[in-house]
Amino acid sequence: MSLATGASRRRLRLGGLALLAAVALAAVLVVQFDVPLERILTVGFLNRTLMLASPIALAAVGGLYAEKSGVFNIGLEGFMIFGAITAAATLSLVGASSQLHVWLAIVVAVGVSLVLTAGYAVLLIRYKADQIVAGLAVWFIGLGFAPFLASLLWGTVRSPGLASMNRYSVPYLSELPVVGSILFNQSPLVVLTLAVVIAAWVVLYRTRYGYWVQAAGENPTALDTAGIDVNRVRYATVLFSGAMAGLGGAVLLAHAGTFIGTGDTMVDGRGWIAIVAYLFGNYNPIGAALAALLFGGLEGLQVQFQTVDIAVSGRLMGLLPYVGVIVVLTVWGKTRMPSSVGEPYESEE
Amino acid sequence: MSDDPGRTREALDRVAARLLDASVYERVGIAVGSTGLALLIGLVVVAAAGHNPLLFAQQLVVGSVGSTGAFTRTLRFTTLFILAGVAVAVAFRAGVFNIGVQGQLVVGGIACVLSILWLAPFVPNGPVGGAGLTLVGLFAAVVAGGLYAALPGVLKAYYGANEIITTIMLNFIAIGIVGWAVDGPLRPDDARSVRTEYLPEGVGLPSLVFSDPNFSILGLGLALAVVGVVAVGMTRTSFGYDMVTSGYQASAATFSGVDPQRTIVATMTLSGMVAGLVGAVFAIMIQGYFIDPSGIGTYGFDAIAVSLLAANNPVGVVPASLLFGALESSGSHVQIHSDVPVQLIDGIVGIVVLFVAAPELFRMLAKRTGLGGEKR
Amino acid sequence: MTADAPPAVRLEEITKTFGDVVANDAVDFRLERESIHALLGENGSGKTTLMNVLYGLYEQDAGTIHVDGEPRSFDSPQDAMAAGIGMIHQHFQLVEPMTVLQNVVLGHEPIDGGLVDEDAAREEIEALCNRYGFDVDDHLETPVEELDLGTRQRVEIVKSLYRGADTLILDEPTAVLTPQEVEGLLDLLEELRASGRSLIFISHKLEEVLAAADRITVLRDGHAVDTVAAADTSRQELARMMVGREVSFERPAREAVPGEPVLETEELSIVGDRGLERVSEIDLTVRAHEILGIAGVQGNGQTELIEALTGHRVPDEGRVHLRGEEITDVGRRQRLEAGIAAIPEDRNAEGLVQEYDLVKNALLGNQTVPPYANDGWLDWSAVETHAEEIIEEFDVHPPDPTARAGSLSGGNQQKFIVGREIGHDPDVLIAAHPTRGVDVGSLEFIHDRLLELREEGLGIVLISSKLDELRALADRIVVMYEGAFIDEVDPIETSDAELGLLMAGQRLEEEAERETGDRSTLGETRPEPDAEATVDRRSGGDRER
Repeated sequence: MSLATGASRRRLRLGGLALLAAVALAAVLVVQFDVPLERILTVGFLNRTLMLASPIALAAVGGLYAEKSGVFNIGLEGFMIFGAITAAATLSLVGASSQLHVWLAIVVAVGVSLVLTAGYAVLLIRYKADQIVAGLAVWFIGLGFAPFLASLLWGTVRSPGLASMNRYSVPYLSELPVVGSILFNQSPLVVLTLAVVIAAWVVLYRTRYGYWVQAAGENPTALDTAGIDVNRVRYATVLFSGAMAGLGGAVLLAHAGTFIGTGDTMVDGRGWIAIVAYLFGNYNPIGAALAALLFGGLEGLQVQFQTVDIAVSGRLMGLLPYVGVIVVLTVWGKTRMPSSVGEPYESEE
Repeated sequence: MSDDPGRTREALDRVAARLLDASVYERVGIAVGSTGLALLIGLVVVAAAGHNPLLFAQQLVVGSVGSTGAFTRTLRFTTLFILAGVAVAVAFRAGVFNIGVQGQLVVGGIACVLSILWLAPFVPNGPVGGAGLTLVGLFAAVVAGGLYAALPGVLKAYYGANEIITTIMLNFIAIGIVGWAVDGPLRPDDARSVRTEYLPEGVGLPSLVFSDPNFSILGLGLALAVVGVVAVGMTRTSFGYDMVTSGYQASAATFSGVDPQRTIVATMTLSGMVAGLVGAVFAIMIQGYFIDPSGIGTYGFDAIAVSLLAANNPVGVVPASLLFGALESSGSHVQIHSDVPVQLIDGIVGIVVLFVAAPELFRMLAKRTGLGGEKR
Repeated sequence: MTADAPPAVRLEEITKTFGDVVANDAVDFRLERESIHALLGENGSGKTTLMNVLYGLYEQDAGTIHVDGEPRSFDSPQDAMAAGIGMIHQHFQLVEPMTVLQNVVLGHEPIDGGLVDEDAAREEIEALCNRYGFDVDDHLETPVEELDLGTRQRVEIVKSLYRGADTLILDEPTAVLTPQEVEGLLDLLEELRASGRSLIFISHKLEEVLAAADRITVLRDGHAVDTVAAADTSRQELARMMVGREVSFERPAREAVPGEPVLETEELSIVGDRGLERVSEIDLTVRAHEILGIAGVQGNGQTELIEALTGHRVPDEGRVHLRGEEITDVGRRQRLEAGIAAIPEDRNAEGLVQEYDLVKNALLGNQTVPPYANDGWLDWSAVETHAEEIIEEFDVHPPDPTARAGSLSGGNQQKFIVGREIGHDPDVLIAAHPTRGVDVGSLEFIHDRLLELREEGLGIVLISSKLDELRALADRIVVMYEGAFIDEVDPIETSDAELGLLMAGQRLEEEAERETGDRSTLGETRPEPDAEATVDRRSGGDRER
């Protein structure tokens, strides 16, 4: 992976500055305001961070594949909303609340997302829709239809308490300090996310399909002349991105246990953050997951501050991930995008 | 053929040809087709949800133009959509995706209210003072909206930060901070809901024509004036040519001497200034104070649909806004008089945008149905 | 080679149209086995279209393809490849961030346990490279974007061979190479022919075709004019077939002598976007009544130098002067207004707004210049008049100011741009590749205009990759190599051979002294006259005629 050296040097410098500023801020907080840092950075915090990061990481991995192949799926946020509402609706309609039903709801959510993404993919690839506008449209449709569906089902845009995904616990091992709680007393969805991220990395860099995805985004003609159907590759990645965003939304709901349809819904910008996560991760699935962890951590800080009684408005603390996104984009803005992103591909004429 | 009448005729023909360019027809066709198809899908959804679609359609009409009250309400929303739509169109035309109109209108609105509240004690009561404060409020909103939009402009121009994402983030941030403020430091002790102080008597736009206290023909006039200024600016000035050319083809604009960075920042600022005006009109003409912005209608988002329907042409924004004003107005009606959840209308707006994004779809449909066959 | 073996490829009456344009009109073509066959023609004569049909990228409207005597029909390049046909496009079909190995195996990856078996791929590629003496296997793990263009081309050839190509089509393979690299490529082609491959070589350069090919088919306006043996034809005859009339290779006489300096740079240095120095300490002077030619292989800093002259880039060090006045930090707009006109390198991206009509395009660059703009207000009727003037004076087709720029042919687009840029009596014109991708008629027209402008007193900087263009127009030629002017030559005294060596960073005398060479041929020690003769075999020695 060669980067433009000048730009990357600047990036490193700015990144270093940002890190320094963060450390300095933390130090000031600790010394000046007597913030108990050890009570903020707890194992519970790490666990919560992992759970908060999972939906973002899933959507990011999906979006990364689409963009690598040349299609900017800006509709991630919308598909996450669809994933969340579908999972909630499924749970509500089956009326049972066993763990199996939660899994079922997740599977249904992914299925429905796939169907919706299929239509979206046809618009983007076959009808060469403007990728930015169409992606925004998916968001708007999600913002409209998810609360609409919620109102139809529950009479309000908020669902009643639904089943949520429990953590599994491995006897004895979960007693181990730190590692025990993170590895052996964890939500299976976090483990699922981890598996998806690693599999995505292997497929992208070690299999022929990964080669094709990369070529489709960088030089589609090269792939075409190698006898591979570029648009088929792109259909596959867009479908995958929609499925992963839907999964992300479902995971979000399965952890929360309630659907919230007010304002920007419970997804609340996570799909947009996912885009930034894969940009920050330089289109590498593992990098994207690490970036998701950063944003999850920023989100989790809110709870930590509350538990140590720091009187900062929860609403203001909740803005931290958004500020984080802007800082990241500013410092890391000029990522090298695949060169053919956004260009429809036709083999003749 | 060099006799004078012939040449005039020729020139006229050419002008007519350009005005009635096939692509103009095509765009109108796409706009009408998208809206019609989206409404149709909406009605299918209504039927699928077990309600009577015909009744719902009737309520849409009644709720938008069925009475003087409904019609004034339509004009009220139209005013907001015109301004917000122009704000989006300015940016989109120049190739900058300002999705942050919602945040900028919130910032503009709160700046308007705060500047008026702060200055009110120093200004004499009465119509003159009120008018002065109103102007101050509008001015403050324009400045604040412009600055809040300039930020993502600078971040894009000089740091390469994708403006789509930064403006969306800035929406969340504006709504969060202003929401926190109106529920905290700015909330009067006696307020039973989350809001600021009321604007003083005399601040506002007089109703003049209609009796609706929340709509003034002056507000609509202001919006139309902005459309005029922006339309003329885009087509008749060097700066407008720079901006629009950057939107069509940034590389050619740069080669012709346009400073791309400065143009991005200027575009965003201009767009934000108009967006700020939306917030001011909302606060002064409609609300009379400021509320938690998460409860304000999503004019800034719907404006994206408005602008796209109008092919990002400021003049086209006017009819598109009338349509959206009617939709929004009937939404208020539906909310009270129907069991169909009003969020459906947001969903329909989303579908409109989706169709506008895919003109190829309509070209193919036109070909299949034999409509407009001979056009390419 | 038995006498009655069927030809490797036979095309019969191939017709291909795009809308109303007939790109190929019943073209016959026959490629003998183990031969190098050149397809010669102007841009737009239908060479590439014909080969794209053979390669399965386009489907012909009529006609048949025979490979090894069997009629075949190809729906995709994959079909063509299965029949042993490979094509190396003018724009390399390589995925730049991926490694050489990944590029070579793309679409034909060896698989082991679900993953790509890179070891197996490496072995196979190394075997291929050893057989033909390629150096590509030295770079297998290098991303393609880090390789020079000559190496990339060899990667393309290896890719085709890896896919089992018996017949190779090379589309304008020499366009991006230095003359020395061209020499290496031609040797490579002979090597491939000797090993039993058949090759088609698309070009519009007479010299190369004469040097490389066994047989030559000339295309004009979609028709196959004739097929001749290279040994039995001449440069003049080929040119006549290509253009349809006699073409003069004479350098026109010129009267005015260069005057005062108008544009100068002083120790100009530019660090490029990737942190490497792209231009180093360039001193340049252009005088009134002078055309300064800048020769060089693409990517040696010309783009950055042009940007510093036009005002699109502030140099890191050094100064730029216009008529003695320093303008180093002055931006494009002010330079435009001060009289520095420019013909852009990339006419589609920079020269015209494709979606605008010609009226709106006539304003491009003039949007702050009176009479078109007064205090920021535009006067569209003045712009329209200007557009009509350009169209008339520069013979732009169609002569319709409301035509969309993108609908014009390349030559007409370029004429419109030239007309617009010199419309306001500039003092300096920076002309970057003014005739790239332009038909012969427009080319001659533009050349004549540039010479006229010189007579009128303009100082012109002409950046071109065409040596004949530089030698026909320039008063002086400087050669740019790795960011520096390494030498200045007289366009009349110099030879293509000398220019070629300079473009490769060497001087003729140095070349003669060299012990060994990293490039395949010319590296041998060779007395000077011989070197000249070798290269002149290709250049056809036009000055002597």
